[in-house]
Amino acid sequence: MSSSASNESLRAPASRCLLCNVGCPVRVMRAGPDQYLPDYVPHAGYAGLCGRGSVLVELADHPDRIHDAHRHGGGGREVLDLRAAAAEMAEALRSTDSAAVIVDGNWDVDTLAAVGAFAKSVRAKWAVSVPPNDEALVRGLDSAGCRFIGPEAIEQADALLLVGDVFATHPVAAHWILEAKTRQPRMPVLVLAASAGVTADFASASFQAAPGAGLAAAVAAVRSGNASALGPRAKGLAGWKDQLKKAKQPMIVVAADTGCASVLALAAEVAHLAKELNAAVCPLTTYGNAWGALRTAAAGGAAGVEDILKDPPEALLVIGADVESALAPQAVASALSSVLTLVYVGPMPNRTSRRAGLVLPAAFAFEQSGRALLGPGREAAFEPLLAPPAGVPTVREILALAGGGAVKADIASPVAAATARANGEPKGEGLLLVLANDPVHFADGSLTREARWPQAVIPRPVLLLAEEDAEAAGLADGRRAVIQGPGGRAEVEVVTDAAQARGQARASAAFPEVRDVFGWKLGTADAYEPVRVQVGKA
Amino acid sequence: MAETATAKPIEKRVVLDLDRCIGCKSCMAACFYGHQEMHGVEFVDIGPALLPVVCRQCADPACVETCPAEAMVRDAEGVVARAMFHCRSCGSCVRACPFGVLSLEKVGHQIAKCDLCQDRLGRGLEPRCVAVCPTRALRFATVAEIEADGLTILGGRVAGEHPIRRRL
Repeated sequence: MSSSASNESLRAPASRCLLCNVGCPVRVMRAGPDQYLPDYVPHAGYAGLCGRGSVLVELADHPDRIHDAHRHGGGGREVLDLRAAAAEMAEALRSTDSAAVIVDGNWDVDTLAAVGAFAKSVRAKWAVSVPPNDEALVRGLDSAGCRFIGPEAIEQADALLLVGDVFATHPVAAHWILEAKTRQPRMPVLVLAASAGVTADFASASFQAAPGAGLAAAVAAVRSGNASALGPRAKGLAGWKDQLKKAKQPMIVVAADTGCASVLALAAEVAHLAKELNAAVCPLTTYGNAWGALRTAAAGGAAGVEDILKDPPEALLVIGADVESALAPQAVASALSSVLTLVYVGPMPNRTSRRAGLVLPAAFAFEQSGRALLGPGREAAFEPLLAPPAGVPTVREILALAGGGAVKADIASPVAAATARANGEPKGEGLLLVLANDPVHFADGSLTREARWPQAVIPRPVLLLAEEDAEAAGLADGRRAVIQGPGGRAEVEVVTDAAQARGQARASAAFPEVRDVFGWKLGTADAYEPVRVQVGKA
Repeated sequence: MAETATAKPIEKRVVLDLDRCIGCKSCMAACFYGHQEMHGVEFVDIGPALLPVVCRQCADPACVETCPAEAMVRDAEGVVARAMFHCRSCGSCVRACPFGVLSLEKVGHQIAKCDLCQDRLGRGLEPRCVAVCPTRALRFATVAEIEADGLTILGGRVAGEHPIRRRL
């Protein structure tokens, strides 16, 4: 399917899963008077839906869902009239000079723009929350002048460079990668990843880079043809550029899930390489609307989430985001505890909502129509998958009750580039630990930890270790271990993985206790970067 | 207990192409949610792939023969399936199945069983695990169709381009 055909499919109305930026169409079937199941029907040549997308229907009917506006305080829970609660929310923000709004970036762009306009009307700062690695990828690529494509266009490639463990983080993208390979069995599929995961199994050549800044260095080595700085294992990288240059339709697919500063550096290298090869770039982000969120934020004069939390406001409205799970949990918890008035609006309870004094219900993003920007040139309109429960408003309806108005988002202009500054490998002893994404949980896990299938498959955080490192620590597959890092300790389940390099470890990204181990600080460049940890028996 | 339908066994099988599986577990999720959050099928990590242990749709099904309640039947389409309300959860079929594809599910006196997503077969659609697989590693096809694509089929359940060597 060519790029123009893939854009046609994006314009066709459908409900869309935004639990990554492939943006799969989603359908439901009615199985009973009040029961819906995901429906799996290949749509216009589309592949299907990964496990994460299948969870959406369960979330819509989740027993813990927030259904009414309520206030916590005085040892009780007081149910409120929605209109009164919305007015109280607006007044809480207006009544102070120190107010802010943080909104989860995976709502549609027009809702995000309406949030920005509302924030301005109550003289509050505002920010959109997207995973730091997504933000780094968008900022590194959006203004770089690359030729961008969506995943459907990968099918036309005759040479591919895959950066990151793409099959693990974006399984549906594998459809078009394998279609391209089936059409042209001899095409080079070159894989650069921090783990020799399943993507490397399908490569004609692969290189396991050091986590963090290692990926950017590997791409730089491919560009320059000189891999001597990366050691003898990297010798083969020197010839990769020639293989890509010979192709008529070379493409670079990049899914960056490790490090924030490292991803900025990686994005810069990918952009340079793409231009030298005249290759198209397919960026893959964790949030489906990461691009739309950041462009809307830039056009609306938003601040950064960390800028707001570094200097906590007196009144804070959080819409849909579990900021405490998503960023540096301890640092954010400390910031939130200094907020005098915390209001939460969203569909599901989470760590952040449980701190709020005032909570309002809201429809999920997939329960309303809207548009998302899945990538440059990939605007996708979507329809509701299901109607929200009776009495549960959309975010836009809540803002309207609070005095806000409808706004059309400006998503035309690329986000300004950020400076790329790669961190070196952290010093000290111990294993190098990074976060590991999987095709089961979504982002920080605040949604999927509440859903039955992800709970059943990955109920506890997992630590992926090389067998030799596990043995050296007196551990084995399936045993409980403790990881001790700069920010604290966490108990995990060990999984020995032949694909895991010695001296490195990966821990489940979807559990806040794991993120606490890293000890990231707000407002520094170390978000999501690797750290050194000690691993021992629990 | 005799079969309650005289239909021929269904010829198509759910077959896993070992060269294409990426272990994404999309099939697991589809099976789970498609059967009202009841695990109908076990999924086993066999190294290079994730294998759904689906019903073998035996020509002479031991589960049908042994069921005292006529809960296991071969329906008009030839699919060996469970009649939900008849099952007494006695577990006879679980013990009788020579392939271990049945599991005891105590909720509502029901034995969880792969039924090839009967509700979808009736609509001309493939089982959910097959429909959702992003790489077409899972296929719903006859042995002849698999072999016509140049694949070697093993045990009627897994296939690959080469009998020994894996991956594309």
